[in-house]
Amino acid sequence: MLHRQNLLRSAMTLFVILVILGGIYALWLRYQVEPVTRDGKVRADLVPVAADVSGLVTDVRVSDNQPVRKGDILLVIDRPRYQLALDQAVANLASQQAALDQALREDRRNRAMAEAIATEAVEQGRARVDQLRASIGQAVAARNLARFNLDRTFVRAPVDGTVANMSLQPGVYLTAGKPALALVYGKSMRVEGYFEETKLPAIRVGDPASIYLMGVADEIQGHVQSIAGGVEDRERAGADGQLANVNPSFTWVRLAQRIPVRITIDKIPPQVRMIPGQTATVIVHPRKDGRSVHRSLPW
Amino acid sequence: MIEEIHLLGIYMPAALAWAVLAVILVYLLRAPLHRLPLHRLLWHPSLLELALFVLFWWGLGALADAFLYRWFAS
Repeated sequence: MLHRQNLLRSAMTLFVILVILGGIYALWLRYQVEPVTRDGKVRADLVPVAADVSGLVTDVRVSDNQPVRKGDILLVIDRPRYQLALDQAVANLASQQAALDQALREDRRNRAMAEAIATEAVEQGRARVDQLRASIGQAVAARNLARFNLDRTFVRAPVDGTVANMSLQPGVYLTAGKPALALVYGKSMRVEGYFEETKLPAIRVGDPASIYLMGVADEIQGHVQSIAGGVEDRERAGADGQLANVNPSFTWVRLAQRIPVRITIDKIPPQVRMIPGQTATVIVHPRKDGRSVHRSLPW
Repeated sequence: MIEEIHLLGIYMPAALAWAVLAVILVYLLRAPLHRLPLHRLLWHPSLLELALFVLFWWGLGALADAFLYRWFAS
């Protein structure tokens, strides 16, 4: 009697232990294996807009957060100064033109009376014509450059986008090449999911994905566009052409690296607004295309 | 799949919430369970509590994903 009861107890205990192990396995699958990450970010490319000519900002035609189209004028830089430069270049060209006309007349006269004038003087006259022709070429280029600079005093939007973080006011002196404001390029909007490397084997390019912005119930649909080609090796320092400098580490606990997976957005619900920098949860739905994922168990 | 739950502006993994709920459920079930003749069936009656906790943890998550989705997420 006692013997049989012990057997029953052992069997039941074993059963309960198996149930515990099975439950842990189900939990592990649910929370550690399915390709889901809460570590996703909405991202868009930022286009810094810099002035091509230096000068005082005389007019700011956009305000912060304003959507702009490609080619819209954002800023105007000191037009009077560049207009004066153009006027000067035009006057310079006219003066060169007058000098050339005079030299041509002289040259024509000299050659008409070649027997009365020294050959040297005729040659000098011809050389002067050639020099003046060349300097007219320079003056024309200078005038075109001045006109070009005048046109570039209008700083235009290089892409469709939204003005971001702008605090520029008229009166600020801008130097050429220094970014004055940034545009968020709307068409490059995407979501980057930072997936643990352990979840990566289940993800393939083209898999559909669901994106949930933090606090937003509506599903944004997308698909995996690409997977990052590489991430930094944090254990190793030293530049190319030097010896490897590997961090001596002894780790009891290792954390999975995060690999960026780029998700293209296919459909945004009408009431949802995506802003680069927002946090998103990304769920990838692996397609059933006969792929085999050999995943190691938790050990 | 419900991935996170927010309470007062703090977003936490849903797994944590389900685990806490599972602990509370198991605690409530302790008294009725101990009235059963468990020591005759199991070497360690508390193993059953552990099993219930794991099953509740997993089951709550699965149930919530199946039924609570819209309610929780919105």
